[in-house]
This record gives sequence, C-alpha cells and structure tokens, in this order.
Amino acid sequence: MDTWVIATSLIFLYLVFTLVLGVVANRRMTVDMEDFLLCGRRAGFVVLYLTVVASFHSVFAFLGSGGFFYTHGVGFWAAGTWTLLVGAITYVIGTRIWALGKAFGYITPADMLADFYESEAVRVAVAAVSVVFTILYIQAQAQGLGYIINIASDGRVGLELGTLILLVVAAVYLMAGGLRAVYWTDVLQGIWMYIAIWVGALVLSYELFGGPLELWRAVSEQRPDLLSLPGPKGFFTPGMWIGMTFTLSFGVIFQPHMMIRYYTAIDAKTLRLLGATTPIYLMTLFIPAALIGLGGAVVMPGLEGPAADRIFPELLFAYASPWLTGIILAGATAAAMSTLDSILHANMTVLTRDVYQRYINPDESQAHYVWVGRGIVLGLLVVGYYLSVLRLDFLVVLVTLSGAGALQLMPAILGVCFPGGRTLTRAGVVAGISTGLAALYITLVVSPHPLGLHGAIWSLLINTAVAISVSAVTPSPSKETIERVHGELERFVYGTEE
Amino acid sequence: MESQPTRRSHFIPRTRDGWIATISFLVIFMLAMPPVTHTLLNRTEPWILGLPFIYVALFAVYTVLIGVLVWALRRGL
Repeated sequence: MDTWVIATSLIFLYLVFTLVLGVVANRRMTVDMEDFLLCGRRAGFVVLYLTVVASFHSVFAFLGSGGFFYTHGVGFWAAGTWTLLVGAITYVIGTRIWALGKAFGYITPADMLADFYESEAVRVAVAAVSVVFTILYIQAQAQGLGYIINIASDGRVGLELGTLILLVVAAVYLMAGGLRAVYWTDVLQGIWMYIAIWVGALVLSYELFGGPLELWRAVSEQRPDLLSLPGPKGFFTPGMWIGMTFTLSFGVIFQPHMMIRYYTAIDAKTLRLLGATTPIYLMTLFIPAALIGLGGAVVMPGLEGPAADRIFPELLFAYASPWLTGIILAGATAAAMSTLDSILHANMTVLTRDVYQRYINPDESQAHYVWVGRGIVLGLLVVGYYLSVLRLDFLVVLVTLSGAGALQLMPAILGVCFPGGRTLTRAGVVAGISTGLAALYITLVVSPHPLGLHGAIWSLLINTAVAISVSAVTPSPSKETIERVHGELERFVYGTEE
Repeated sequence: MESQPTRRSHFIPRTRDGWIATISFLVIFMLAMPPVTHTLLNRTEPWILGLPFIYVALFAVYTVLIGVLVWALRRGL
C-alpha cells in the first residue's frame, strides 16, 4: 500500500476518534458556563498535565523546532530555558491565579485584571490583546495542519482543504463537549505527539546514521557550524536568546488558553505538582527535535525558510516505513489540533464572557451563553480559515509575535498576583499595554530587534516603565479591592490554604 | 492620590527554604543564559558520553532546575 494512503487514512482515523471523544464529553456536560468553559473547575493532575503540555507544544514544536535546529543549529536548545520558566511560572504565579479564580469566580484573564484594577478599559484592553494575538496562533496551527495533511496525502489534499477539514473537526468537538472535550482529546494528543516525535527521531537516527551518537558525530564532522552559537546565520545572539526565553515562557503562559487552564485545576496542590514536573515533558520533547533538525541538515541540506519546517515529514517519506510515517504524521496533527482547539476555546470564552455577556446581553440563561459560545466558535473557524489561507510564513515567527503580544499583560498580572509596595493603577495598566503594543510593532516589524535585543523585551521594558510612571500619578484601585484581592493571596500563600 | 494598604512584599521570600529555592533557581538559571551560554558553554569539546559539551552542559542545567522545583514541592513551598 502507498505511504500516502496509509498516512492519510491514519490521520482521518485519528480525527474520527477525536469526534467520538467530543460526543462522549457532550453526554457528560451539564448546561452551565463553568462546566462548558472551565470543565467545572475539577481538572485533576493527569488530565491537566497532558492538556497543558499538549497546548503549549503546538505544531511549532513538531515542525518549527526541527526546522529551527536545521537552520540555526544547537542554539535552539535554548528552548530548555523557556520550558523551565513555564514550570516555575505555573508553580509561583499559576497557583495564585487559581486561588483568585476560585475565590472570586473568575473565568477569563480579563475578569481578574478588570476586578482588581476596577476598570472596564482594562477589561477591554486585556480581552482585545487576548483575542487579537491568539488569532495569529490559530493561523499558525491551521497552516501547520494544512502542511501536514498536504504532505501526508502527497499533495492530493490541498493546503486549503486540509486546513478546512481539520479546523472543522476541532470546532465540532469543541462545540459538542466544551472544555471537557478539549481536555480529553488533549490527553490523547499529548501522549501521541510525545511518542511519535521520539519514535520518529530514533528510527531516523538509526536508519540514517546508525544511532543518535553517530548522528551527533556526523553533524560535528560535516556541519560544525550548527554546533556553536550564534549559529550559521548568526541568529542566536545573546539578545535573541534572552528575548525568546521570556517571550515563549511568560508570553505563552499569559495567553488566555494557558491562563484559563489554571482556573480549571481541582486544587493548588495539583498545580504545584504540575509546575514542578511539566518541564520534564516540555524540555525533553526538544531532544528528538534536535536529532531531526540536525540530522536533516546533514542528509537533506538546502531547505530554506518554510521548507525547513517540513524537514521531519520529508525525512519520514524518504526513509521511514509507510505505517510509521502515518502514525507520526497523525502525531503532528495531534500537536497542532491540541493547541488549535485550546485557542478556539479560549477565544470563545473571552468573547462570550468579556464581550457578549458583559456588554451585549448580560441577563440571559446559562444555556443561552453556551449556545452563543458555540456560535462564536463557528465565527472563529471562518476567521481562522481565512487568515490561514492568506499566505504561508515561517511558523516560529508567528508564534513569537503571538507570545510577544500576550507578554504585554505581564506588569498588570504581576501587580495583581504579588502584593507589596505601591500597586499599579488602571490608567498605568492601560497606558503600559498601549505603549507596549506600539513599541512591539516598531521593534518587531518596523525596525526588528534594535541593538540585537529581541523586540518583545524592548516592548516589555517600555510597557513596564510607562505603567509604573503613570501609576505614580494616577488613582489606585480602592483600598477595599486591594485588601480583598491581596488579602486572599496572603491567606492562600502564607495562611491556611483551603 | 490615596494611600494604599501596606502589606509585606510577596516578591521577597519569608522562610529559609523559600530563600534557598529562589536563589538556587535564579543562580542556576543564569548558567543557561548569556553571557555564560555564549562564552563558557559555547564549545563542543570535550565530548561527554558521545555528545557535544554545550548540549550536555545545558541539559545538566535544565535537569538541576527541575530538581530545584521538585525540591520546593517536597518542602511544601
């Protein structure tokens, strides 16, 4: 049987299975917003672990990271730094976000920030950042899905059609089962993608080089430029290393699809365990990615830009068995879909809660909001599809831009989560986010990475300086609110916990 | 401007174990950041267990950082 037949069949089999999970999740669902949007705040360790890692590691980890090792060499092993920060952020900040969400019924990031800073302007700014920048993420995942199914079918399923099919499947199981369906499919996807990338990398290393150690030796002999910093194209300068570390940790964690996961944990102990152990999965997934990218640079040189992102499937088609190729490409599909469904869900949550319920129709039944959420998913599907077929671009750049946008929420979030000293004010937060976004545009698009420092870091520094300066001369949140929120954190962190 | 409620800072650890975890994580994390990465670690020799030095050194730093997080968990921080 031809490779493309097996690969495409396995992907479609996988898609059918995710739809079945969506239907089963629908039968377990009760018609209220907390259940539909937050899985009833009852997510345990195993489910939460696999949904967090599967959502964090998108198609970028499967395709983009191999492409990055291929093009820029061992410098991409910097990925370990941001995966470690993700663990520490979850441990320290994620638990505080969980505590506040449980105490005050927050559902979205904007709920928390608007409550503390007592400002609808803050709610609108945060909701806008949440949606605008994660839509770029939808584009990246959808494009990745299009790549995968196009490659798996050997070009028989076009990029646009493949993207549409996979977007529709993710939207259908999300509409059917809400966040529970997303979590259940993420469990499957988290396991599948991890096994797939490891098996694929090891099989290729033995097939092409006789083993991983021989692969590293071959790279040192034939492409020594890939084994030093800043890499063959001078990409991994100190400024880029630092910038990517903070953008792809804080910037991704502060996106709504990750923050909302903190609200859903069953207790704080689960989140602490999650923080201490998620880096194991997140970091070790880049070990096989290095083998794929660096090995690919030796045996299949000459791929540039977006073509480099396809090094893993290209190697599989050239050197692996049809069944293995199919299983691994289904794993790549899992990597993209697990992030895509999470972002669709987060955007649906933000638009339903922060926009529709808050400003358009505040006094409707729970069932009404659930149905509105489903309608919003359909709208997002159309927007995501339209954006994804506009053009193809280098995946990691899109992800970095997305992360840099959410990074602008960092001063405001730290102001809520860390009592002590003078707090930021609503005017300071709005001014900081606005200035930070303007600075981000200048330092990422107009004049990328001035003085070699990543644009995200420039924008964060400017954001923070403006937020602090404006806060020094504008009215603080009321004493009652500060006492209520920071008092809760004091009890949670240093007093009795639950 | 109105005065704000005063509260002990949450940025500063309040226990010995808290200080150990915070300082350990930050110091070890700096070993995986420039300038260390681009100077001391930026070499392939010596090869360790068949792998280049920079790769193994960073892996060791990451592993120790996970160890710090697990230690904090076990100490109930």
